[in-house]
Amino acid sequence: MTFLDRTTDARKFRHWEGDVEADYIYTSGVAGERFFVALRDEGRMLASRCTACKLDYLPPRMFCEDCFAELTEYVDVPRTGRVAAVTVAHVDRTGAKLSHPQVWAFVTFEGIRGGLLHRLLVAPKQARAGLSVQARLKSRDGRTGTIVDIEGFEPVRSRF
Amino acid sequence: MRVGIIGIGMTAFRPSTPEYNWKELMFEAASRAYADAAINPREDVDSFITCAEDYYEGFGIFDEFVPDQLGAALRPTCTVSGDGLQGLANAYMQIQTGLIDVAVVEAHSKASDVVTLDGIIEHALDPIWNKPLGAHPFVVAGLEADAYLRGTRTSPKALAAVVAKNRRNGLRNPLAAYGAAVDADQAMQSEERFAPIRALDISNPADGCVVLVLASDRAAKKLHADPVWIRGIGWASDSPSLETRDWTAATYARIAADMAYRLAKVRRPATDIDFAEVDDRFSYKELQHLESLGLAKKGEAGTRVLRGDYDADGRFPVNVSGGSLGCGNVFEATGLHRAGEVALQLRGDAGVRQLDGVRVGVAQSWRFVPSATGAVAVLGAGP
Ligand SMILES: [Zn+2]
Repeated sequence: MTFLDRTTDARKFRHWEGDVEADYIYTSGVAGERFFVALRDEGRMLASRCTACKLDYLPPRMFCEDCFAELTEYVDVPRTGRVAAVTVAHVDRTGAKLSHPQVWAFVTFEGIRGGLLHRLLVAPKQARAGLSVQARLKSRDGRTGTIVDIEGFEPVRSRF
Repeated sequence: MRVGIIGIGMTAFRPSTPEYNWKELMFEAASRAYADAAINPREDVDSFITCAEDYYEGFGIFDEFVPDQLGAALRPTCTVSGDGLQGLANAYMQIQTGLIDVAVVEAHSKASDVVTLDGIIEHALDPIWNKPLGAHPFVVAGLEADAYLRGTRTSPKALAAVVAKNRRNGLRNPLAAYGAAVDADQAMQSEERFAPIRALDISNPADGCVVLVLASDRAAKKLHADPVWIRGIGWASDSPSLETRDWTAATYARIAADMAYRLAKVRRPATDIDFAEVDDRFSYKELQHLESLGLAKKGEAGTRVLRGDYDADGRFPVNVSGGSLGCGNVFEATGLHRAGEVALQLRGDAGVRQLDGVRVGVAQSWRFVPSATGAVAVLGAGP
């Protein structure tokens, strides 16, 4: 299987090791601040509205990508969303194998342009598109006003 | 004014290149392109365009590091922060202005120099909404593959067929890094990575450099060249945020193709075009791109690859070069490599993988995860 197993590790050859030091703080911005403060303090999710295009954007942004209007109005995102796409990752962010695979989903909401990429809090076998889901939030004390105040999305208990 | 490709230079694509640094890799590909075009870059070239992204290079302000290894000192140079096919579009437009007669386009990968390649790709995720989640960046591809397969009712077997075809095609391309006799079962049984994507569905990184020399029809005549014509070219980006883009179709590829086809006067792409080189850095991308380019109907690319239509001897050969699955992922050089491959086929210079009687071919690029940017070029054989 040598064809399938070739080294791309140039550290085995003559080289100079270097790194690019790059640390940042990323400002949430006006629209991000509105979303994250409402999420932290009230457990609500907000979308920004373009009244001209009749579009509600999630994540919210300060400007409409269609008409360039400044967006100042915010609306609540429906509590229940739908899994539009799902994947099960068997490696972590660095490419190292995970002992417990992670389920990820893109969740959309009725009437909202956009959605949220986040963890889907189900076993890999239960992961499927079409599930009705709600955000599970960290407890109020644990929330700091970032996207990880949401622990992930979990299935809405069926009503029948 | 017509614009044609009069010189093609490529290094071999390899998992690592310990004997060369990235500048020397560019020097080799450029030397090959200038020999192919029979030109002297110090006298015959009016403009040089390189395609690079500082983060992939590992140092800042890449364009400052350019001219010497291309023979471009004291000549106009610029860097496109994008795929090589976007650089080709820039060169095409420069020549169309009438100010430039001969232009050179370069793109390369020295991926083996990047110790933390996953981390570099991760830096392209939105730093507020996506990256803090801690997902591997290929999760984006896994989600899109899921949406594509379900949205088009495509079988995962079709992905395995793409892998088997392109890895085998790579065996017939002396430049390919990852040619291998892989069969579909092996692909279907390879390790799960980002379901429905498995290990063999993902192209492996490779080093390599591609340089193309372009000329106006007037300059081509003066240089006694026999060009492959750029009949049309286009490019597009879908919504810059992951959340607001199309998750099933490759909308960027459709818009780019519409633009390229309009210029090339291609009205029925599926019959007017003889073969294609499309981005296949994940196996599902080949199928999704073929549909978005109008080369297959929605949901049909999967059944057609399973039927053998896209084989080198099939009805519509796709990625006869081996694609990125067979040749390796050469990052920003990916699209330029495909344009070079289409040009070689149209010149009749594709060696053992030469297709019979091809007159028009299409090359398509995508700017990799997590982008929704692509470009398309329609190339045609002389006169
Ligand atoms: Zn608007």
